[in-house]
Amino acid sequence: MKEMARYAAVLGTICLVASASLAVVNSLTRDKIIAQAQAEEEASLKEVMPAADHFEAVKKDTETLYYRALDKDGSLIGICFKAEAKGYSSTVQTVAGMFKDGTINAIKVVSQNETPGLGTKVTEPSFTDQFKGKKGLEEVQAITGATISSRAVIDSVAKKAEELKGILNAP
Amino acid sequence: MKKLLSEFTKGIVKENPTFVLMLGLCPTLAVSVTVINGIGMGIAATFVLLSANIIISLLKNIIPARVRIPCFIVVIATFVTIVEMAMKAYSPALNRALGIYVPLIVVNCIVLGRAEAFAQKASVGRAILDGLGMGLGFTLALILICAIREFLGAGTLMNYSLIKGFEPARVFGMPSGALLVIGLLVGLFNVLKNRKG
Amino acid sequence: MPPKDEIKDNRLTVSFSPHLHKDESVSRIMWMVVLSLVPAGIAGVAIFGLNSLWVILLGIISALVTEAALQVATKRKVSISDGSAFLTGLLLAYNLPPDVPFWLPIAGSVFAIAIGKQIFGGLGQNIFNPALVGRAFLMACWPKLMTTFSGPFDAITQATPLAALKEGKLIEHISYLDLFLGKHGGCIGEVSILALLLGALFLFIRGYISWHIPFTFIFTTGLITFIFGGTQPLGAGAGFGGDWLFHILSGGLILGAFFMATDYVTSPLTRKGQIIFGIGCGALTAVIRIWGGYPEGVSYAILMMNAATPIIDRYTKTRVYGA
Repeated sequence: MKEMARYAAVLGTICLVASASLAVVNSLTRDKIIAQAQAEEEASLKEVMPAADHFEAVKKDTETLYYRALDKDGSLIGICFKAEAKGYSSTVQTVAGMFKDGTINAIKVVSQNETPGLGTKVTEPSFTDQFKGKKGLEEVQAITGATISSRAVIDSVAKKAEELKGILNAP
Repeated sequence: MKKLLSEFTKGIVKENPTFVLMLGLCPTLAVSVTVINGIGMGIAATFVLLSANIIISLLKNIIPARVRIPCFIVVIATFVTIVEMAMKAYSPALNRALGIYVPLIVVNCIVLGRAEAFAQKASVGRAILDGLGMGLGFTLALILICAIREFLGAGTLMNYSLIKGFEPARVFGMPSGALLVIGLLVGLFNVLKNRKG
Repeated sequence: MPPKDEIKDNRLTVSFSPHLHKDESVSRIMWMVVLSLVPAGIAGVAIFGLNSLWVILLGIISALVTEAALQVATKRKVSISDGSAFLTGLLLAYNLPPDVPFWLPIAGSVFAIAIGKQIFGGLGQNIFNPALVGRAFLMACWPKLMTTFSGPFDAITQATPLAALKEGKLIEHISYLDLFLGKHGGCIGEVSILALLLGALFLFIRGYISWHIPFTFIFTTGLITFIFGGTQPLGAGAGFGGDWLFHILSGGLILGAFFMATDYVTSPLTRKGQIIFGIGCGALTAVIRIWGGYPEGVSYAILMMNAATPIIDRYTKTRVYGA
């Protein structure tokens, strides 16, 4: 019995010290981690909507629906949004920037884990540049040999764009 | 002195964790796509290995034998979490590339293996040397595998393309290529070992 | 290299290879199979032009060189005259598109012989058909080069009939006769069914292959594509309308069924086992073609059944008399 108590005491102490040190490290890095995530998000938004000066997240509860892209004076020039769909071997996440009139400015695939050399081509400019200045995405050509990955990007962006157009045009 | 030195050098070739002890193959297979990944993973694992070895060697007389495994795991998990938080804060790109395999260092058998097989019986000094040597051996093995895979699978090394017009063999960027490369390297290690012995 | 008798203890080898007593006969069979494949090669070169001849020659030469080099390096007897490496190189080249760059057949043959065969201990020890190992490797490495086919008689890129089918395009101008004669895009050795059947007939008559694997293989593929391969899904009341003849005549089915699934080393020993093997190959081929990501599934089907061969052998083994 006494032995058992000793085991518990040793293990408990180790756990206590461990959690205390983790708490310290966490408080040191927390702000930095949040800032990094924000900077990253900001950077990808900037990339698909370079004309914007800053972005404003439009939220429903805690979930971000889309971002309003604003110029220096704070007037709306367009929106940015995240679209995702199941690709061939992963969920493909795309960030897209769209002007007020519904024209896509640019897209960027931010996260995917598709087949190297085939599906991963959706991240390359030869594919993503096709989206520039398009209103409808019917003309965007899927990559030969990577139809499923390409469709994931095209369809998810088109669907989300359609949804948001409705919101934009609503009074 | 010579004996102390051998605690350090044994991890590099003679008891190389990857090619001879065959430990920690899961992260090796998963992250060894580019050399940068390999270096990052190697450094992270070496830090955890070294820190865990030190602490466990220090506590070797306090930790009761019957609860040693949970104690080791708590110590290791703490250091892994520290590495993960630091990586997220200071190198988010690397963190993204290594993904789930950073937290999985907790169950990397090299770390627990060295704690169990070595650090809990050794002096702090020897535990440090062992941790450094094993970490270095793991890192070097990773870099070797990564270099082969990155060159064959993407045609680059450290993200610089080397030969113009080289059509990369994509399979080496995929898990099956990792198995192939590691299998062949283990075979090569065995051939070299048998030739010497 | 361990001495010969240690190899027998190798746990990887679950089954025993045929107890071949005369090296003479193995080598003879190999060369006969090579001979039977000649018409298909001639047809391929006639249809796709001289480039395919170079592909075939490069495939064969690099297979022979790799085999010899590895046997010298591991201090074993050089046995390139037994025809097995020659056959591997030939079959690999037959499974390539006609206009591939010159290094592709070389890379494929080196991999096929080194990883597909010699690493297991050479002829008779390999689990998988080496030529198909080489092909699978090339497919995984350079998918684009391996799926770019030029059409017959000119160098214009053309999808294979199966690839066109996969993409939902129906190819109406292709007749069964075209498929039979090989007037369509495809791999060098697989397109001319006529030439392949000539070779297969020769092997049948001389008794080098039996009907068990090829016929069950082709029949099963035909049956499943007939039931499930229709343009409308089964539930819509349409099943049973699949174009089975199209499926049999296109792709590598004939080449695979007669010349690769029948490989002595990697297929079951007993008749019963061979029938199971053939049905398995056929079912997997049809499944990959109809529901899979690739248009063609013959090579993967054979490789998967190669892996199942030791188990098939174990369960169909003839009972030892008196045991």
